[in-house]
Amino acid sequence: MWRPLWAIIERELKWTVRQRSRLVSAMVRPLLWLLTVGVGFEAMLRETGAANYRAFLVPGLLAMVLLFGAMLASLSMVYDRESGVLRMLIMAPFAHSWIVVARWISATLVGLVQAAMLVVLLGVMGYLNGGISAPLLAVGLLATSMTCASVGILIAVSTRALDNFAVVMNFVIFPVFFLSGALYPVRHLPPWLRLVASVNPFSYGVDLLKHATIRGPAPFFGADFGIGADLLGLAAFTAVAVLVAAIRFSQDSVLEPLARWLSNGRGN
Amino acid sequence: MALPALLRTARAVLSLGPAEQLRPEKAFARGGLAVSAWDLSKNFGKLKAVDGIELQIREGEFFGLLGPNGSGKTTTIHMLTTLARPTHGGATVAGCDVRAQPVSVRRQIGLVFQESALDRNLTVEENLRFAGALYKMPAGLARARIDELLQLFNLDAKRRTPAGELSGGMRRAVDVARGVLHRPRVLFLDEPTLGLDPVNRRALWQFIARLRREERVTVLVTTHYLEEAAACDQVAFLNAGRIIGRGAPEHLIKQFGAYVLEVESPDPDGITAHFSARLGVGLKTDASVSFRIAEEHFSIAGLEAELDSRVRAMHLRRPDLNDVYLWLIHGGFGGRER
Ligand SMILES: Nc1ncnc2c1ncn2[C@@H]1O[C@H](COP(=O)(O)OP(=O)(O)OP(=O)(O)O)[C@@H](O)[C@H]1O
Ligand SMILES: [Mg+2]
Repeated sequence: MWRPLWAIIERELKWTVRQRSRLVSAMVRPLLWLLTVGVGFEAMLRETGAANYRAFLVPGLLAMVLLFGAMLASLSMVYDRESGVLRMLIMAPFAHSWIVVARWISATLVGLVQAAMLVVLLGVMGYLNGGISAPLLAVGLLATSMTCASVGILIAVSTRALDNFAVVMNFVIFPVFFLSGALYPVRHLPPWLRLVASVNPFSYGVDLLKHATIRGPAPFFGADFGIGADLLGLAAFTAVAVLVAAIRFSQDSVLEPLARWLSNGRGN
Repeated sequence: MALPALLRTARAVLSLGPAEQLRPEKAFARGGLAVSAWDLSKNFGKLKAVDGIELQIREGEFFGLLGPNGSGKTTTIHMLTTLARPTHGGATVAGCDVRAQPVSVRRQIGLVFQESALDRNLTVEENLRFAGALYKMPAGLARARIDELLQLFNLDAKRRTPAGELSGGMRRAVDVARGVLHRPRVLFLDEPTLGLDPVNRRALWQFIARLRREERVTVLVTTHYLEEAAACDQVAFLNAGRIIGRGAPEHLIKQFGAYVLEVESPDPDGITAHFSARLGVGLKTDASVSFRIAEEHFSIAGLEAELDSRVRAMHLRRPDLNDVYLWLIHGGFGGRER
């Protein structure tokens, strides 16, 4: 199975690298946040005595790149209308669920490529000086990317209501991002929001990245959960999401309308 | 307890289980049938899109599935190519059951969609190589096969052209090449010539004829252009999900009759009433009526005497597949006998 799998992934990555403008905007978005929200909040918070909000924001922004990169890459899968490739894939001699798995893996890699670029940029800008743990950062980025990709894949096979970028922004990306501890520590939230944040898998990714980038005792801005809990949360969610997506994609109720759509092309 | 069950499900979904290893070729050799369908049916809610059809397509045969819009051709193809599950009944394709062994079926068939299955951003050659990888073809083998097909389809010069820049006819040709890259036993073509101009249409049929000659691939095609279907070994006419006629085109045409008599008139009803005693029930359109003429020695000389102002023109010609089709769809042939 690895040969077709690799062919699919390779094609996807080639395409990502060729799309310069998408890569650039993926870099600009978090940097803009860092230089606006980051600077603004830091100025405000300094009055209250809390230190270095921008350093706190860094793991959240890394996770944000993964959210946009990996999740949108996998979301575009099933209803990738412009490309005929899905026609080739559904006729290929392997179980249809492999299409989901292949897209999940390539979306994970797309997210990682973008995150790696941002890490380099942040490093150059001096935001990653204070003793980061490189192995933990790598694990955190990988795990978070896998999770974000799995969310996208699950949405893609579950509903066609979310096949439009603006709708996904409003109903998935923003809520997931705001309720994750990326912008403020989870532990200071009111209990009901804390509950929401702790069932949001993205929170664990952000938290894991905090472990990697915010070192030392940081009573106010530190991580909220343990590393073990983070990894377990991410792994469990991802495994279930990918499995459910794979099962769902091979069901008639998803596949048949898709095949029909692919057959008839635009219209009906 | 829960975890092993989950893993089992995962294995089943990804077809890692033993089902994948089934080697069904023997059954194929025994039956000699490339496609065999029994009581094949598909319902969408109350609509019976395909309603209990039987099909037997012999290995190497060129088979045409014909019928008006919405008659169930695409739905039939989808069931045979494992993209839709029959509501009841079943089928084997290249010896494999479409329900039980979908992956084995897909390994042995090619399907060309109406819309291109190519990546517009990749070149012709990259597209074909990608397709080869999907079928796990060894790189060397794939390369040789791609060369061979590009030669066969006169596409050698376009090797490095992005698929998005090809003309409609060439893209369809590349699509067909993609469909037969892995040497499928059965090739399904759903309206392959739709949207092509006559020149490209002819070229495409020539490619398909060449493929059939050189590779003995079984071809099932759907089309609305019945002149094209005349080249088929066998055709079946589908209407509202049922097969309403089938056979070799020459045979069907012969069975149909010796001639078609077309009478153009502003008053088709009057003409029908006038001639039906002698010529049987005619097939009416807005401004003409046509009659099936069985006798080989029929002459319109006798009828000319009866020409009056109601008749604008009258001509006698040999029937073709279009006539068979029209008569089958509207009231059926044999309507006279009944
Ligand atoms: N998923 C579906 N849900 C509801 N109805 C469907 C579905 N798929 C097909 N149909 C209906 O089934 C019937 C057969 O459709 P099908 O596409 O097989 O016809 P066709 O012979 O290929 O037509 P055409 O010549 O226009 O391509 C049509 O009435 C169509 O509307
Ligand atoms: Mg159709």
